Amino acid sequence: MSADTPTIEIRDLVRRFGRTDAVEGLNLRVEPGRCYGFFGRNGAGKTTTIKCLLNLLRPTSGTVRVFGLDPRRDEVAVKSRLAYVPDNVAFYPWMTVRETLDYFASFRATWNQDTEGALLSQFRLDLGQKTTHLSKGQRTQLALITAICPEPELLVLDEPTSGLDPIVRREFIQTVIGAYQDGDPGRRTVFVSTHLISEFEGLIDEFTIIERGKAVLSLDADSARERYQKIYARFAAEPAALDLPGARVLRQRGREFEVLVNGSSVDVMERLKARSPEALTTESLTLEEIFVTTLQPGAVVA
Amino acid sequence: MQLSFKTGKPVYLQIVDQVKAAAASGAARPGDPLPSIRPLAEELRINRNTIAKAYTELESQGIIETIPGKGCFIRANSSPYKKEVRMKLLAQAVDDAVVQAHHLQVPKTDFLELTEQRFEAFAQQRDRAARG
Repeated sequence: MSADTPTIEIRDLVRRFGRTDAVEGLNLRVEPGRCYGFFGRNGAGKTTTIKCLLNLLRPTSGTVRVFGLDPRRDEVAVKSRLAYVPDNVAFYPWMTVRETLDYFASFRATWNQDTEGALLSQFRLDLGQKTTHLSKGQRTQLALITAICPEPELLVLDEPTSGLDPIVRREFIQTVIGAYQDGDPGRRTVFVSTHLISEFEGLIDEFTIIERGKAVLSLDADSARERYQKIYARFAAEPAALDLPGARVLRQRGREFEVLVNGSSVDVMERLKARSPEALTTESLTLEEIFVTTLQPGAVVA
Repeated sequence: MQLSFKTGKPVYLQIVDQVKAAAASGAARPGDPLPSIRPLAEELRINRNTIAKAYTELESQGIIETIPGKGCFIRANSSPYKKEVRMKLLAQAVDDAVVQAHHLQVPKTDFLELTEQRFEAFAQQRDRAARG
């Protein structure tokens, strides 16, 4: 794979089920070394998309390329270089933790024993315990170990922390940053689909928001936070009609005024300043707020 | 280190600014080590690439230096740039402050007085840090 080959490239992906298009023309590109967020409401098409990446589903039309390869034609080549952590991990219930690890390791060309040992003691998992007796958090931790030890170039996470307590969720993210991101940055790419956007905010370089099978916003995190701003102004007296093109009014109460802007903050600030406000502040939206505002234009962002 | 996703400023730049402020105030002294990338990223729960980008930026600005095998350290107070380049870089920060002063309706005399006070405050902090 050359330096220019994207780790994931999806072009005009369509996946139909009966008469419904779960994915309706999705375009998405993940460069090597990035942490890519994939956000969308339930039923938006996230899991369907991921299944196409993993050859668990075949596209109806369009192309999917992982490491420049077709996951259908070159299934083994693709899967040997990635690891997948779904939201409901399935292990053989009679196997112990140790047996499970050995089983997963048997499919892999590489298995970092030191990382395995470090993560086992960090998570305090009992090697002799059968997987059926593990809690949900422990199962996720075990899944994460099986995903990280082979040192894959791509880590695909589908709602990995749903249903987990906040402490386990934090540790999960710390482990992805710590144990997974070790090694050559160009060979450590993360693709995470999640509802817990605020928790993953620090990790995400770039993201796509998918709605009804299509990408509605694809942006890098820094640009997104720069563009989406909440501007608050308070005037000495209730202002006469304010003309603020490109701004969406969130709240207007007497002398106070709050608007949402997408890229036009400088212009809107100038117009507000021209009216000599008593107070004028601006604050970025978090990625979660950007998600809400993009998918629900009328919603008032907290 | 305090990071915010609400300021609209890229996280890596926030890190750069905080390290620079620490070096300017004496909270971080020449030769002091910077936290290693991995533990810092884990602690802040941010992407390692972000920290790496910040450290690369700090190094290119001459604030820190990397010693292979040992880590990153605050440099002694010398910038590799010529004075005019340094002044130009500083002018950008000054412009931001002047614009802010206008928004906050702070007149020029107050602004200059505040600048004096801030220089004084940093100098005092440095002295206190040096005295230990």
